[in-house]
Amino acid sequence: MTMTTSNQPTTELSTPDRIAAHQSIVFDNVSKFYGEVLGVNRVTLTLPPGITGLVGPNGSGKTTLMNLMTGLLRPTDGTIRVLGESPSAGQHLFRHLGYCTQFDAFPAGMTGYQFIYSFLRVHGLAHTEADSLTWQALERVNLKDAAKRRVEGYSKGMRQRARLAQAISHQPKVLVLDEPLNGLDPMARAEVIALFQQLAAEGCHIIISSHILHEVDMISDQVVLLSSGYVVADGDVSGMRTEIHEHPIQVLMRCDKPSLVASRLFEHDFVVEASLHDDRRGLMIRTREADRFYGLLNSIIVDNDIDVETVTVADGDVNAVYKYLIGNEGEGR
Amino acid sequence: MSGLSVPETAQHPSLGQDPRAEPQTGSTDWGMMGRQLWGVLRIELRYSLFSRRFLAVAFLALAPVGLLILWALTPVAKEIAGGGSTQAMSMAAWIYAGYLSTSVFLSALILFMSLFRGDILQRSLHYYFLSPVRRQILVLGKFLAAWIAGAVTFATSTALIYLLCFLPLGLSGLSRHLFQGPGLGHLMIYAGISVLAIGGYGCIFLLAGLFLRNPVVAGVLIFGWESINFFLPALLKKLSVIFYLQSFYPVPPPQELFAIVAEPISPWLTVPGLLLFMVALLALASWRAQRMEINYGED
Ligand SMILES: Nc1ncnc2c1ncn2[C@@H]1O[C@H](COP(=O)(O)OP(=O)(O)OP(=O)(O)O)[C@@H](O)[C@H]1O
Ligand SMILES: [Mg+2]
Repeated sequence: MTMTTSNQPTTELSTPDRIAAHQSIVFDNVSKFYGEVLGVNRVTLTLPPGITGLVGPNGSGKTTLMNLMTGLLRPTDGTIRVLGESPSAGQHLFRHLGYCTQFDAFPAGMTGYQFIYSFLRVHGLAHTEADSLTWQALERVNLKDAAKRRVEGYSKGMRQRARLAQAISHQPKVLVLDEPLNGLDPMARAEVIALFQQLAAEGCHIIISSHILHEVDMISDQVVLLSSGYVVADGDVSGMRTEIHEHPIQVLMRCDKPSLVASRLFEHDFVVEASLHDDRRGLMIRTREADRFYGLLNSIIVDNDIDVETVTVADGDVNAVYKYLIGNEGEGR
Repeated sequence: MSGLSVPETAQHPSLGQDPRAEPQTGSTDWGMMGRQLWGVLRIELRYSLFSRRFLAVAFLALAPVGLLILWALTPVAKEIAGGGSTQAMSMAAWIYAGYLSTSVFLSALILFMSLFRGDILQRSLHYYFLSPVRRQILVLGKFLAAWIAGAVTFATSTALIYLLCFLPLGLSGLSRHLFQGPGLGHLMIYAGISVLAIGGYGCIFLLAGLFLRNPVVAGVLIFGWESINFFLPALLKKLSVIFYLQSFYPVPPPQELFAIVAEPISPWLTVPGLLLFMVALLALASWRAQRMEINYGED
């Protein structure tokens, strides 16, 4: 099992790693703020090929992370590389990238077919090719029968599948899917999951988000856990699953005013322990409630203008976080 | 920069590199960009022509036509007919100036201001942003679609209006004015001015739509700017659309006589000038679109 060591720059890579970087999605110390509001903070991650689950409760930063890797948002700080390219640098990457967003919205007045076909034409494809790719995509999501009907008349599940078809229509190498199972009935869910597995087997990178862990952990090769804008753990799922037992999460933090942070944290009873490092540049915190803790930490950082170097979850605590997230999957919303 | 070494193909995003993106024939980029532009145009033409927006535009274009038909039946019209085609010509100029600054202006606002805002409001802009298409092409495609829709509409309605101004002269008087007098030439010039006006104002509103949320604010600001144009120093005058358009008027409209006399310029300079002005605004719009993030939640 691997742990996120939040702050190791990926800038000096050995040759095999460089090659790997061209097949991976790499976040290097990426932060995104919406004005004052934290989206994600200091994310350092490498997503290798295969299926990656991005899991966290509402507002944990899943969509933010996905919008960042697809160039819809620009990071406030840090760098992102998708297959070695910066998502905001040029339009070339989008030949290989498909993104099914969380927005249940369509261009007005189009049929399912027109929706997919039209954007393939924007890709610059000629009619015959766009037409055949459109039918292939509709076929894969089982929407051929409704192809000539207006999207406005679709059910929620059909709209979800139409957007999925659009995202895969140009046969991307990287497929980013924001809560793709939302609104699907069990049948459709099983079909769509089978589709993801098939695409992954064809060599596609797939990143799937969900706020329900068990929904994605069965199909994911690795899972990234997010909480309040922080990556709290990432690693391969089988390792994570084996030992689940409850104990407080231990967080290590390095910043410029650790004693101030410690005193603020201590005002709350869900913080069990906060001890300063000898060098006065860091502190160790133990807490029972990851979510409230991270929320609190964010506001302390913003309110006191604290310069944070790293925030890491100490090894061995992944399972506690995992447990926390499973335990809250129902109420998490 | 990070120390990642990026292969040539990735560093130089070129449209011709996808295996599906056309056989490599040296400079395939233009062909690809042309097809992409058509891809954008297809979608946007549908928006511009088959939407509620366009109903408003059609109303603005045709309402004056209806009014003129009613007017042609009144005794005032007969009086003008008594004055002959010269009087009708200056009346046409006067009506056209009003039409330009209201109908054409407002229609440009409606057609162009929502080119990006409309997509943001209906939360569909990301489909474009996730396509491998340059933002310049996106801006150009959207602009051209709205321009085509507006140009066709207003060239037609301008011609109708012009013809109606001469209707009181009777059909024979009208055809004499058109084919023996300067009528046909003037009609084409007015239609041309409408086409240029839609494009010129369109660029401004496209740009405004990328910066401002509220179309009313943008409309008032730009209307104000265009209206005070007569009083501006020469350099600032050149930063408005009406400045260029006025130089084309075949007959000066009565209330704007002095402005024309003050600054006579040749159409040979104004057409390139106006086009340059439009290109500059579109470039600015592309630059802005390039920096745009998808943040629907903010609205
Ligand atoms: N446009 C925005 N403006 C301001 N804050 C935002 C914006 N978008 C997201 N945020 C904030 O960023 C944080 C992360 O949001 P994000 O949408 O990435 O979470 P999420 O994990 O996708 O949640 P959900 O499960 O609800 O989709 C939240 O605190 C949210 O309030
Ligand atoms: Mg989300």
